[in-house]
Amino acid sequence: MATQPVLREALTAGFIEDLIRAEKEVSLLTSRCKDHPSDLQGRVRLVYRMFHRASLTGRLTDLGDVEAAIDETISQFGAKEDLCLLKANLDFRLHRLAAVRRDLELAPLLPGRFEARVLQADLAFQLGQYEAARQTLQELIEENPTWDTVARLAHWMSKLGDAAEADRLYEEAEEFLSAKQMLSYAWLELQRGMLDFNHGRYPEAWAHYRRAEAGYPGHWQTAEHFAELHAAEGNFHEAERILLQVIVRTSKPEIKQALGELYMFTDRSEQAQPWFDSALTTYLESVQRGGVHYFHHLADFYADARLELAEALKWAEHDMKMRPNFSTQSALAWALFRNGRMKEASEYIVLALDSGVRDAVLYSCASELFEAAGETDRSAHFAKLAMQMNPKYRNFRIHH
Amino acid sequence: MADHNDPNAVNHIFSDIDYSPADLYDLFGWPTNESRNVVFALTFAAAPAAGVLDSDLLYRLLLTSHPRVAWPATGEVTVDSILGYFDAVKDKYLGELKTAEIRVTVKTASHVLVKFLGFPCGDFSTEVDVNTVVAITTPDGQTINAFIGGRDDAFFNDLTGFFRSINYAPQFYHVPHTMTEARELPIPKTLLELEGNDLFNYRENMPEWGVSQPDGTTPKLDLPPGPWTWNGNSFKKDSNGNFRFVYDGRDCRAGQNCNAIVFEMPHSFITPHTNENRLVNAWGESWVLKAAHKVESIPDNPSWVDHPWKVIREKEVDDELSKYKLVDTDGQPFADAALSEREDDRQLGANNFWLGPHFIKRLAHLGWGFGPSISALGLACSFDHDNSPVSVYKTYDLVATAFPRVAKTLFQALNMPDSSWNPKGLAIPLRRPLEIFIPNVCAVDMDTSGTWPFGRRLEDQVATRFLSMFLDMDAEFQGKKYHVDLLGDQALWDSAPIVPKTPPNPLHNDKAFLDAFPYLAEPWPENW
Repeated sequence: MATQPVLREALTAGFIEDLIRAEKEVSLLTSRCKDHPSDLQGRVRLVYRMFHRASLTGRLTDLGDVEAAIDETISQFGAKEDLCLLKANLDFRLHRLAAVRRDLELAPLLPGRFEARVLQADLAFQLGQYEAARQTLQELIEENPTWDTVARLAHWMSKLGDAAEADRLYEEAEEFLSAKQMLSYAWLELQRGMLDFNHGRYPEAWAHYRRAEAGYPGHWQTAEHFAELHAAEGNFHEAERILLQVIVRTSKPEIKQALGELYMFTDRSEQAQPWFDSALTTYLESVQRGGVHYFHHLADFYADARLELAEALKWAEHDMKMRPNFSTQSALAWALFRNGRMKEASEYIVLALDSGVRDAVLYSCASELFEAAGETDRSAHFAKLAMQMNPKYRNFRIHH
Repeated sequence: MADHNDPNAVNHIFSDIDYSPADLYDLFGWPTNESRNVVFALTFAAAPAAGVLDSDLLYRLLLTSHPRVAWPATGEVTVDSILGYFDAVKDKYLGELKTAEIRVTVKTASHVLVKFLGFPCGDFSTEVDVNTVVAITTPDGQTINAFIGGRDDAFFNDLTGFFRSINYAPQFYHVPHTMTEARELPIPKTLLELEGNDLFNYRENMPEWGVSQPDGTTPKLDLPPGPWTWNGNSFKKDSNGNFRFVYDGRDCRAGQNCNAIVFEMPHSFITPHTNENRLVNAWGESWVLKAAHKVESIPDNPSWVDHPWKVIREKEVDDELSKYKLVDTDGQPFADAALSEREDDRQLGANNFWLGPHFIKRLAHLGWGFGPSISALGLACSFDHDNSPVSVYKTYDLVATAFPRVAKTLFQALNMPDSSWNPKGLAIPLRRPLEIFIPNVCAVDMDTSGTWPFGRRLEDQVATRFLSMFLDMDAEFQGKKYHVDLLGDQALWDSAPIVPKTPPNPLHNDKAFLDAFPYLAEPWPENW
């Protein structure tokens, strides 16, 4: 009998089928909207389907198309709640946090709606207001438990609480999902796999990733996680092969950076450079267009991939101003450290640690930083914590 | 450090909801073969297409047969007595009665597994191709006819008119899902248009407004900013003094298909005591596979397929159901749409006893809308609306205050148009709305024709019959007692000051039903 996850049906519809359907729907609705330009219902449906398509492809250009379509629809029909909510979601995804609030306030009653409050909890988390985020999520779950609110609380727990509780909540979120929501199910399985991965439990991570693939075959996101796990286990060629495939499918610059980092990790610096060049070009093009989504990638990139420490600091500062949370604080601390500004680096790493976040990589970063600052006891403490949390934290990993 | 890997990445906030094969439409049931057999037909959305089933779905038809019971005629009807009735029925359904079940699990789009569970002859199963009439032999040698597949949708109804009558905005306006307050707008429900009700009154320049079109679209308008209220004080009348009906009698389901699960089975298959157990109660359920069980580490237990006669209904079956989520239930027509307000958490099937108090309040709310409309037409009304000259928007927090208004509506016996419903001329009491809707089952009386409310035959115009609850069944029209089909009588509309002069709903289905199993008409051609 099967020991790997198997499908109930031989061929479960997955990424490709979803994408084809989304493309078809977008095409049909586009045509219908041309024939019926005053059909608001059709237009709203179209922009939502475009958003779905962009979610699948992960392409920034698709998100750009959605944004243009939303703005055009709002301009023609006014600030309807569903349009403003979608706009806010889009801005959130692109890290334009100040815009999210503005979007929600475009429709007077929207900020008080359940869906908007969910987004506000996300916003609070990104702005480092962790307790407010948790409280809001718990209130929302009490009011109307949905898979995504429970998953959000799980995500909170995975960062700031107990990993076992996070996993339990992710599993609880899965119980809400039907077979018609396999994309969401696969995403939850990936999160559960990442929880294991971040604690060095690779066999358990594999099991979750395989369930994600079995439930929703063919998604590049799952492939990306497979690649990371292969690399972490030392199967670099397989990781490379998969990452190359993902790049062909998505052209995502962060995956190109990840491939470059894999080459660097395996002492193939020359091979890394074209991928770094390509990733950097896309990051900078985005910035030139006014985008802020890649600030954190730029900070990482210049701090580690291609050492330009002043640039690393610049982007880390930009990102931290926008999203003052443990992630941006630690990135800034690292950039400051790499620039030799130890005092400020210490301040920021303490800020990040004070958030209560539990992460082996952050502990390791803190350890290194305190070591350089001469605080050996503190350094040892965090080195120990990192090792306790994930004995394999030095293995290859991707910034998801 | 990853910090933005939140569910927003996959949280799809849809602007509308697609057709779902879990959306149950109707449950029909009536006796056949001189009351020796009974037919049940559960219909649901034709998704992915008529004749093509969804393998993530599981359907249940739950059955129980017991003696005929009726509301005790003696004693004063009070809130306490009615609440006592709910409790008594609940105890009966949840305690005494054992429910048998036909469970249909979709194996592939064209093949299903049918399990018969809890019937007197023991559990068994069989596999069936869809869109084919099959005869299933039971372990005790009886024959069950089965059909599972695509059919013409047997429901014929002016759905747009119904939505207009309850001021249901999403049928006529673009209403975002976030705006939960903009569904049934706080305007009096009514059968006659209200003077100045610009939000819902018929628009001559938009005859298809709010009417679902063959291409799946529905012409809608942009919902104007509130307040969505009505401040008038009269029904609308034209220059000839005619009211305007909110219905126009069209068949909003014309030319549309459904998928159906149809069984015709001997009454003796359901109960060995057919002489005593003259009622067969049924309700349908749709379940959708949970995501976690779409991916399984252990293959399906093959015993149902390999040894269909030997499987025992124990843990295995419960394990199966635990892999699915209940989505929809169906027993009585309009129990959900009219009385439960389509709330997801009110999908309880027969177990809707706790909704009893809500039904009373909801019925009173509807009565304040429909009652004055009926009175304005010169008809006698069962709802006590204090002779209000126009529909009133009124809601209730307390059962005790609502109850006196609806007492007659709930408890009056619903007259039938003639004696054909009772071919044997037996002393079968007429049914009362209270008994019809609580519990929410299709209760087929095997000694009747099975016409609603003694079951539900395909040709029954149940939407119009539902409205007849608000008629005073003690009154007479043209020398004859009011009855459940009165509002379908063209003569009534011909003499009423109203346009259009039509019964609220079509009198017949758009396609003739069949004389023989599976009774529902062939599906319309589909473009798939």
